[in-house]
Parts: sequence; C-alpha cells; structure tokens
Amino acid sequence: MELEELKSIWKNGEPVFQPKDETEIASMLKKRSLTVIDKLKRNVWLDLIFTLVVSVGLLVYVLTLRNGALKWASISILLVFVVYTFYYVKKLILLNRFNPADENIRAHLESLIDTLSGYLKFYKRSYSLLYPIFFCLLLVLFGLERGAEKFVENLTNSGTIFYLIVMAGFYFFLATYVTNWYLKKLYGNHLEKLKGLLNDIRE
Amino acid sequence: MVSEEEKKFISLINEHQGLIHKVCIMYENDPDVRNDLFQEIVFQLWKSFSSFRGEAKITTWMYRIALNTAISGFRKQTRILKTEDLKELHLNISDSWGDEREESIQRLHWAIRQLSEIERAMIMMALEEVPYDEIAETIGITQNNVRVRMNRIREKIKKLMRN
Repeated sequence: MELEELKSIWKNGEPVFQPKDETEIASMLKKRSLTVIDKLKRNVWLDLIFTLVVSVGLLVYVLTLRNGALKWASISILLVFVVYTFYYVKKLILLNRFNPADENIRAHLESLIDTLSGYLKFYKRSYSLLYPIFFCLLLVLFGLERGAEKFVENLTNSGTIFYLIVMAGFYFFLATYVTNWYLKKLYGNHLEKLKGLLNDIRE
Repeated sequence: MVSEEEKKFISLINEHQGLIHKVCIMYENDPDVRNDLFQEIVFQLWKSFSSFRGEAKITTWMYRIALNTAISGFRKQTRILKTEDLKELHLNISDSWGDEREESIQRLHWAIRQLSEIERAMIMMALEEVPYDEIAETIGITQNNVRVRMNRIREKIKKLMRN
C-alpha cells in the first residue's frame, strides 16, 4: 500500500468536527493553561503566597510575645518559613527556565525533560536538607515543652541517644520514601513518558 | 474590547481550525478531553503568536505548537481505542464510496491510532500533504530520517489494516 493510496483513503473520509465560532475562540484566550509546567507554576505561586501571608502573621504575633519558650518556638517556625520562601522562589526560577515558544517537537521534549528533571531533583535535594531541620526543630519544641534542663539531662543518657538515632533514622527513611512515592506518582510517570517519546524520535 | 492583534489571531484560528481539530481527534478519544485539548492548543498558539515572525509557513508553526501541546504538554490519561470505538468516530465519507471503501477508511483511522504518538504526528502531516522538509522541521529530525521512518510507518499501517 503506497502513501498516495493512503492519502486517497484519508481524503475521502476526513473526521467530522463541530466548528468553533469566533466568540468561542475569543473566550479560549482568557482561560487558564492546563500544561504541566503552568499547573506547577500556579501551585508554587499559591504556596509562596500562603507562606508569605502566614509569615507576616507569625511575625506580628512574635512581636507581641515576651521572651520565653513560645517566642523562641515561633521564631524557629518563622525561620523555617523564610527558608521555604527561598525554596519556592528557586522553584519558580527553575520552572521559568522552560520556554515552550515554537520549538520543534524534539527540542520541546528535551527542554521539558530538562526542566522537569531539574525541578524534581531540586525538590528531592531540598527535602533531604529540610527533613533533618524539621527533626531538630521538633526535638527543640519537645524539649522546650518538657523543660530545657530536664531535656538536656535526658540527652546525656545513652538510652535516649540510641532512641533518638533510631527515631531519626526511621523518620528520615519514611519521609524520603513518602516524598519519592509522591513525586513519582505526580510527575515521575509523566517524565518517563516524555523520555520514551524522545527516545522514539532519536531512534 | 478586542485588540487588533486578537482579531487577527481569531480570524487565523477560524480559518485553520480544521488543522487543530484533526490533531485533537488524532490524540484524544474522549470528546470532553478533546475539547480541553482544543482550548489548550488555541491558548498556546495565542501565547506565541506575538513571536511568530512569518519565517515558517503559518501551518507549520500551527502544527508545531498543536503537536507539542497534544504530545507532551497536555497530561491526560486516554484509554486505548478499541475496534468497536470506530463506530463512534464520525467520518465524512463520500456517498460515492461503497461499503468496502468505507471500511478501509475506518481501518485507516484505527491503524493510525495504534501507532506511537510521534509516528502518528508524522503520518498525519504526510496525509495532509505537508512536505517532508516541513515534517522534518516540525519533528526535529533530518529529511532522510523522515523518509526512512515514513516507509516503516507505511508498512506498519499496511499490516494493521490487514489484521
């Protein structure tokens, strides 16, 4: 079967579609994009705005507090939010690197894979740094609640140290496992599909 | 208030909407998802309309963005098209064609949908009389590669249509 024969079959049975009128087309220009990168950007912007609003609220609250455990706990949380602000800004910078413009399919795929891989790598690396910070913060908050002196005294006990190491290991393993599973479910499979498409072009 | 650029763009889409519809039909089986894809393609075309300087043919530019959106930008799971789904695919079949020819048309559409997404893009453009150099430019491969792959695709379709 030659290509000309296929063309003749194709031309004689074109798919039927409902044409869109100009008003419908005009309304499409105002809609939100559904592409993966645009969705990610919207989510990061939401996270960033939420973090900033909560940080400002927390800062105002901290300023009203007197010196004490609650003040220091609030300041610790505020510092975590500051770290998160930088984290979201970096995420946006990574996502903004992707410029779909009107590249060919191969270049578009390469750029998309590069952006998504970089984004996911940054996500994982950040959490491998943030998890220990969270763990230490939890420990400090727990210590403050039970009384600093008693807490320090407990820390010198070898049984407590062993228990903390086991807890830290378990917490780190579980948190990393959940993050990896979540990322694979959300974007990992899509990334694999994109890599498959690129391999198909390179064949 | 619609700007002059918007008017120009809308009239362009109006004129070439068949191309976008065909890409949507080729990549999505569900009518609602197809409609979302149509909207997304129009949106992406609009986003890059200001940077289009007329270096490529307008249809080449449209194919590039439409196919990029359908293949990699738009994340929706689509179910595999079964042979019985062909009855739901509305085709504008010429009255002068007999039952046997009608079946060939249905089989061709089904066979194309069994191909990989890249192969589908290539054969679709070829059937729409897009020259090989433009197909090469759209996909990002050499013209020679297009020729080789097109022969392979033709063979695949032949086999699929026979089964």
